[in-house]
Amino acid sequence: MKKPIVLLLSAIMAATLITGCGKKDTPKEDTTKNETGNEQTENTKNDGGKKTLTVTTWDNDTTPQFSATIKAFEDAHPDVKVEVIDTSADEYNNKLTVMLAAESKDPDVIWVKDMGSLLSMASKKQLLELDEFIAKDNVDLSVYSGAAEQLQVEGKSYSLPYRSDWYVLYYNKDLFDKAGVEYPSNDMTWAEYEELARKVTFGEGSDKVYGTHNHTWQALVTNWAVQDGKNTVVAKDYSYLKPYYEQAVRMQKDGIIQDYATLKTANIHYSSVFKNQQVAMMPMGTWFIGTMMQSQTSGETDFNWGFATIPHPEGVAAGSTVGALTPIAIGANTDVPDLAWEFVKFAASAENSKTLAENGILSGIQSEESFDIIASAEFFPSECKDALKYTNYVFDRPLDENIDEVRTVLDEEHDLIMIGEYTIDEGIKELQERVAEIKGY
Amino acid sequence: MTSKQKRKIKNNLVGYSFILPNLIGYTIFIFLPVCFSLILSVMEWDGSRNPMVFVGLENFKRLINDSTFRISFINTLKYAVFTVPITVVASLLLAVLLNKKIKGIAVFRTSFFFPYIASLVAVGAVWNMLFQPEYGPINNLLRAIGIANPPRWVVSTKWAMMAVIIVSIWKFMGYYMIVYLAALQGISPALYEAASIDGANGWRKLRYITIPLLTPTTFFVMMMLTIQCFKVFDLIYVMTGGGPGRSTNVLVNFIYNSAFVKFDFGYASAAAIVLFVIVLVVTLIQFKGEKKFVKYM
Repeated sequence: MKKPIVLLLSAIMAATLITGCGKKDTPKEDTTKNETGNEQTENTKNDGGKKTLTVTTWDNDTTPQFSATIKAFEDAHPDVKVEVIDTSADEYNNKLTVMLAAESKDPDVIWVKDMGSLLSMASKKQLLELDEFIAKDNVDLSVYSGAAEQLQVEGKSYSLPYRSDWYVLYYNKDLFDKAGVEYPSNDMTWAEYEELARKVTFGEGSDKVYGTHNHTWQALVTNWAVQDGKNTVVAKDYSYLKPYYEQAVRMQKDGIIQDYATLKTANIHYSSVFKNQQVAMMPMGTWFIGTMMQSQTSGETDFNWGFATIPHPEGVAAGSTVGALTPIAIGANTDVPDLAWEFVKFAASAENSKTLAENGILSGIQSEESFDIIASAEFFPSECKDALKYTNYVFDRPLDENIDEVRTVLDEEHDLIMIGEYTIDEGIKELQERVAEIKGY
Repeated sequence: MTSKQKRKIKNNLVGYSFILPNLIGYTIFIFLPVCFSLILSVMEWDGSRNPMVFVGLENFKRLINDSTFRISFINTLKYAVFTVPITVVASLLLAVLLNKKIKGIAVFRTSFFFPYIASLVAVGAVWNMLFQPEYGPINNLLRAIGIANPPRWVVSTKWAMMAVIIVSIWKFMGYYMIVYLAALQGISPALYEAASIDGANGWRKLRYITIPLLTPTTFFVMMMLTIQCFKVFDLIYVMTGGGPGRSTNVLVNFIYNSAFVKFDFGYASAAAIVLFVIVLVVTLIQFKGEKKFVKYM
């Protein structure tokens, strides 16, 4: 007699299993029009009549780079609620890939973490083309001084430059004073930089101060090799890297920079090395300005610091730097394209550029005014304002469809050279072979 | 239809209804994806709405010529060849030792089992510290006993895999020890008593009673371990990230990178199929061997 019950129960279980995968969010969709009668409101959620815009960010709680814009946008558009999907920086691209593969309505606005993923998303048609919007609203792309054009994929715009970061040379003034050495200037060659680093290396054991710091990224060697704009990190011939690896290995051997293997195995973050005053100098991106300002504000650190323009190769003009853009784009399946465009336009505007500057962030639009705003912030080393200016800017990585694969190879060979498993020549030889394999040279 | 047939059908229906919920889950989450992956392996697809393109065996041909695949393949074999036998022997010995009635036995058993339940990420991070070449405790110990140039472990292409293998054995050993312990309890004490009367010493008892009677368990342990070793990923990801260079890159690593870094889903599926075939072949060989060495009571 119990069998029919069992049958029934398992049938119910099976049924719930199937329906469990079904549309859960149906009731959330609210098709009521709001009072303005705007067509976009068709798919807004029932949130006090507010329109909802979904954006994707990474490490949103550690930097004001996204939240400042989101807040400013919400202030300017009281009828819009911005919903943030935040992921850790390491996982961001993977998470985004999965989200976009599902082809759901969200996310509406996407902050693109690097050029490689911009290219891959554009080629997978996961981003909305912006050219029509740009033409319709007469957006002047010249304010980005060429960056907007550099972001184009096959002549089409899929994104606008949101923020721009480039490398500068941070230094600890207190340690320079202690060593009795003059601060780094805005015009140094890499050879002069190394010489300076040797001068400010002092102390022994746990009190040792290293002249400078190379974090474990390959970019901190390869970037300087592409600074002259003659080569990119996707190349047929990598011999141009050799002098820069020689310098890095030499500095490591002489104890001018910390040991790569130790940094790598202990997973030491560059910010802790600089904040703990273990190094006198450190080449790093401009994003670190905001981090240092925040750390001085909170009282986490309390020493004098500054930064200079990044050193340059012999024969290249002072003020040449290497950097990258953070583009902002719209998901191809968004249900609110007009609102999303409104957000993108706002985020990349000159007006928002000032808001970002107040937070120590350099936007895609650089002007004397935004530099002034940054420099007047409380914990900004104001005499370093000139170091923000650059004369030439090259991208740290080219817009190449295989860039992520090539970077994996670069990382691996960098590893082998820096831990001393390979000589520089062996590393470069294998790098060349493997990149040729990827690119089909 | 006779009433007997009717009853049979009814009984079957009840049986099916029991497995139905699980079967549906299995179909949706395992069986269909596996079939999909099989199809993908002969396609080229970037995971987006761009159409899939049939490429035949092209993906497999590319695998043969891919140096990273070859390295990952060899690394996986190396990992399995060392980890499986050493873990089997270690867990068997542990089980025999911990099968005695001594004081505090529960504490010992628990402490050996503990690595298995400890969080892998934490375990990986702690072992990385222990293996630190300059000031890590392991190398300090090695220097203290007179080894001037101890291995640089995870920052050396030669020793990184060995470091991973050591941690794996340490981690798996406790679990399989429990499996062996359960089997040891099943061996009749009468056999040992009889052997004692015949004058057999401890070693002979182990050699001629314990080990033969444990062969079904050994077979099970070896098979599970082999499969576990071929799909290793997490521990390596935490400890070395496949490095230095490509020295600890394994097949699952390769599949992950192909799919989620290169967005080459067809290629990744082809590699997954290769992995599947390898595991299948190895398991079949083990089954064949079963008849030779496994003794049932």
